[in-house]
Amino acid sequence: MSRLGQQPGERIVRSQKLSFTFDGKTVEAFQGDTIGSALYAAGRRTFGRSFKYHRRRGLMCVAGQCPNCICAVDGAPGARACTEPARDGIAVTHVNALPSLELDAMRATDLVGGPFTPPGFYYKTFMRPRRLWPLYEKILRNAAGLGKLRHSQPEREWRTEYRRRHADVLVTGGGLAGLHAAIAAARLGADVVLADEGPEPGGQQLVGGELTEIAALVERARGAGVEIIDHGSALGYFDGLVPVWQNDTLHQVRAARHVFATGAIEQPLVFAGNDLPGVMLSGGARRLTSLYAVSPGRRAVVVTTSDRGLHAAVALRAAGVQIVAIADLRPDAGELARQLRAEGVPVFAGHTVIEAKGSKTVSEAIIAGIDPTHPDEHSFECDLVVVSGGAIPASSLLLQAGAQSAYDPARGYFALSRLPEGVYAAGEVAGADSDEAVTVSGELAGLQAAHGLGLGTDESTVREAALQQIAGMTERAEVAVPTVGGSDSGAGRGKCFVCFCEDVTSKDIHLSIEEGYDSIELSKRYTTVTMGPCQGRMCQLPSVRLMAQETGQSLGDVGVTTARPPWVSVPMGIFGGRPVEPAKRSAIHPRHRDLGATIKWAGDWRRAYDYGDPQGEALAVNRAAGLIDVSTLGKLIVRGPDAGEFLDRLYPNRFSNLKPGRIRYGVISSDAGRIMDDGTICRIDDETFYVTTTSSGAGAVEEWFGWWLADWGDRVQLTDVTQGLAAVNLAGPRAREIMAAAAPDLDCANDAFGYLDARQARVAGVECLILRIGFVGEVGYEIHFPSAYGEHIWDALMVAGQPHGLRPFGLEPQRILRLQKMHILVGQDTDSESTPFGAAMSWIVKLDKEQDFIGKWALEHYAQQPQAAALVGFTMPNGEVPTEGAVVIDETGTPAGQVTSSRHSPVLDRTIGMAWVPEALAHDGARITISDAGKTLTAEIQTKPFYDPDGEVLRS
Amino acid sequence: MNLDFLIAAADGAVARSPMESEARAAGARFEVRDGWNVAVDYPGVAAGPVGWADTSHLRTLELQGPGEAIDAAAGESLPFGTAVRRDDAWWCRLTGTRALVIGGTEPVAGALDVTSTFAALTLVGPLALEAFARFCALDLRPGRTPVGALRPGSIGRQPGILIREDEQRYLFLFGWATGEYMWSVVADAATHLGGAPVGVDALVTEPVRA
Amino acid sequence: MPMSFLLECPNCGVREVTDFGFGGEVSARPQERPSFRELNTYNYFRRNVAGVQREWWFHRSGCRAWFIAERDTITNDVKFTALP
Repeated sequence: MSRLGQQPGERIVRSQKLSFTFDGKTVEAFQGDTIGSALYAAGRRTFGRSFKYHRRRGLMCVAGQCPNCICAVDGAPGARACTEPARDGIAVTHVNALPSLELDAMRATDLVGGPFTPPGFYYKTFMRPRRLWPLYEKILRNAAGLGKLRHSQPEREWRTEYRRRHADVLVTGGGLAGLHAAIAAARLGADVVLADEGPEPGGQQLVGGELTEIAALVERARGAGVEIIDHGSALGYFDGLVPVWQNDTLHQVRAARHVFATGAIEQPLVFAGNDLPGVMLSGGARRLTSLYAVSPGRRAVVVTTSDRGLHAAVALRAAGVQIVAIADLRPDAGELARQLRAEGVPVFAGHTVIEAKGSKTVSEAIIAGIDPTHPDEHSFECDLVVVSGGAIPASSLLLQAGAQSAYDPARGYFALSRLPEGVYAAGEVAGADSDEAVTVSGELAGLQAAHGLGLGTDESTVREAALQQIAGMTERAEVAVPTVGGSDSGAGRGKCFVCFCEDVTSKDIHLSIEEGYDSIELSKRYTTVTMGPCQGRMCQLPSVRLMAQETGQSLGDVGVTTARPPWVSVPMGIFGGRPVEPAKRSAIHPRHRDLGATIKWAGDWRRAYDYGDPQGEALAVNRAAGLIDVSTLGKLIVRGPDAGEFLDRLYPNRFSNLKPGRIRYGVISSDAGRIMDDGTICRIDDETFYVTTTSSGAGAVEEWFGWWLADWGDRVQLTDVTQGLAAVNLAGPRAREIMAAAAPDLDCANDAFGYLDARQARVAGVECLILRIGFVGEVGYEIHFPSAYGEHIWDALMVAGQPHGLRPFGLEPQRILRLQKMHILVGQDTDSESTPFGAAMSWIVKLDKEQDFIGKWALEHYAQQPQAAALVGFTMPNGEVPTEGAVVIDETGTPAGQVTSSRHSPVLDRTIGMAWVPEALAHDGARITISDAGKTLTAEIQTKPFYDPDGEVLRS
Repeated sequence: MNLDFLIAAADGAVARSPMESEARAAGARFEVRDGWNVAVDYPGVAAGPVGWADTSHLRTLELQGPGEAIDAAAGESLPFGTAVRRDDAWWCRLTGTRALVIGGTEPVAGALDVTSTFAALTLVGPLALEAFARFCALDLRPGRTPVGALRPGSIGRQPGILIREDEQRYLFLFGWATGEYMWSVVADAATHLGGAPVGVDALVTEPVRA
Repeated sequence: MPMSFLLECPNCGVREVTDFGFGGEVSARPQERPSFRELNTYNYFRRNVAGVQREWWFHRSGCRAWFIAERDTITNDVKFTALP
């Protein structure tokens, strides 16, 4: 165990021990450890194998940013060992190495495959023969990647909570700046949420061991009413909505103002062997030391471009690490370097690292002067190379929010240049680099956010102005901008990695530019640089620098790739939403379940498809009687002095002359003359109509009616009672007797209650609207009544029908029955191009109607045009049932139409169907050819209904 | 003919909520009250920090017409965004020409009975807001949604109408046909917070007048 | 551009965009009988501006009223909403 003595800021609780397994071996840890810190303390240096070359990778950032320590926890891939808390009993496994992490056979791709695996090599190499691609793909998928998903997951293994949180201000990032911003805004009365990635707020300050100060700030924040979401990762910015992922909860935070205090990301340097285990970012080395009391190594070479690395050297020395050399890119490394030198640490100013060597871990580092004319190389034995390539603002979320950035040559990075309204940046992300500057910018952003909401006092306004002034005067630290020196000087020494996620080297970028991918967005897509799990944290800037060097452009001209969510890698499952699908169910649904119906989706309804015997159910309707639940029909009440005229303008036929108590069929056409929906309209009284629509069209028709009403302003009131009324259709030769038995007060004689009549009557004590219509082709009563009595009416009718052989029937037998009558199903037999003329419903279009109606102009046009195709019925002499959607072909074999419906009719005992066919064939007795999944079938056209062609049964 | 077939009131027939099966499975005890089979309590089910009650039996009327006519029927000017309590009913203006009257028994001239167009649930308890936060994007923070506030909007991914009836009591209406679905959504969210279904007899506090 | 902006229903107030149905850009139905070409232009052609346009919205999850919004199609910034 390489645990150090008590560290001032350590988070481990040494009195609480726990253990977990890594690849089956037990690992001891303390409460507060991460998987990574415990493994490192136990001596592990190799944490995973890289994406493509299967190179060893070890801890680098220790902040959950780089991809090097990705592992699987209890079988779920994608965890970062360095930030994933160690929990007792978990089973951790490595990813992407076979047979084991230490002995990875695929390592050969690195040793020999290097020159043969440039970007795009899959597609260049495995092009031919094409038939082998499935095999290649399988091999490649096994070889690459950062983990495997388990294939069979019958149930979701963990539950995601979705929690909506509205806030006045969301502060993202809980370091010094974020805490000050949250406190400032909350104190002015704002409702503030603060999301921080760490187990507790504090950010960089925790690494510095400044625990008391941070604890006091957190206390103040809570006292001011700030809700702190710890372990909370902001995933993206969606028009003011920021999803924050915390353990198993996705907080969807909708805030009026946003403060981003997301800090900065320390950058690696590009040099040969820069991915060897033991090459660690300075922040990573410091976190291991101070948070977990784990020594990152014994002998370290420190390479830096600013004071950041020197501070790390000081801290590591204090923890007992020997600093064998410091290479500082700056020609004058400054005061801190002089102090270190005075203490005997060799500091090489104007030097940087050009190669790290070692087999399993670093054993040697070579540094050289940056002046190419005086290489001045030095070699040092070491087990740790601490790298600090400067820090870039973690501005992705701000850029997603619409902020702009511009290249800052003095800093060597893209700095924020303009923020959108209502969005503020604070702390390091805004360029502040001392504790004082960070504090000022945090409080300032908090005040601005609150002031933007109209909160504040005279005092706070004065304070904002004062802070503005201080912020303008803050001095900034000295940094040196690396030229990605490593890529040149490292050439010939070995691979210099730009992207650790997907193993993209400086050479790959060079090649991609040579092949013409010379814009950063193209290079990204070609090499996949910035597209891996780190989302550009480690590779964005180095790739831009390389591109600039190679193409001679300025960094500002090269620009950066678009920032996109998610900013943090998360399990796909959290985007799945709640595992409950919105479903509508009829009020009679429990009865269908009791009867063992096959329940299927029909639009957004769960419907009884059949009760186990669709053919028998259909036959029962033709021979005796059947009862079907049609509660899913759309139902609208249209009332008012203009109601009749309103419907006349919406339908091609006329309703203003419909008599109360009578029903008429209607087809809704768009202004393009296409069929949108159909249904029946019943006139209740002079000013009241009861309109039904198809089940799937209910919502759209209500919106369509409402839309024209909003435009025209007629004196009409619409009420959608689709869900308010249940409806059943009682149909069959015995339906009249059953209806009479169920509604004793109703005269059901044909001359008293004829076809297309509507009546009002009590059924089993409930007031019902009864429509005599016949979608299924038999004498039929469509009974509408309040949903609250769904089961009651169903039961009453089943009892009344029992002596008459009444059977329930489902959607499937209804489809057989309606097909026997050639009643079309909008959307099944018609599509978005169908006109009433093509669908054999010319009779419904009243072009002589005096007033304008929707679709009139287009229908007038189509009335004069010859129809190219017509919807007709067909039968199959040989009894086959063609697939719905099968193609009707002409004599040359060219597609000329399609089958829209086909079924076996039990009452006729033959195959019946409907199809769109060329107009020339749309007459009785014509033969058509159907091509159905390789078979050629012959059908005979029939234009009149198959069953009861003259409607005598229906009207009887 | 007339529109009496809309009215959920019948002799010899008991009106049932679309969530009756769910309530029964959760242990409800029912009583027929004013023609409705109502889940009045849940014997043996301990109350939690959030409770939900099936209140689909509340009569709901719809008034349409010119704004002045609606105000005249209400007896006062109906505001947007606030439900007005009168005659044991919530008077809710939805648009300039449409209002709902939820609850109560007094007849309202010219209104359509749409009781069984809407199912209803009442959420009560200190964690009611947290439960809503799990299936609803409405801003229900107390400062934004004071007692008496009326908030039509998406609830459980369905059209909804919410009224904050009291400090810790929220009534919301949604489509009758989505009853079973909505029960599962609310039960899922509330159970996870330690909640349990409650009968209407547990809704002891009278909704206060806005 | 992720679509998560807010829209103010003139009746109900501010809601998530997912509360609403989109009715397309506002275009006038011809007053007089159009030529076939004019009819097809009205039926099938949209201006599809990159910038501010007037469009129809429907508060599907709330009051179920249609209203007009003026929205910048590039930024999703909604300038105003009003009943027709």
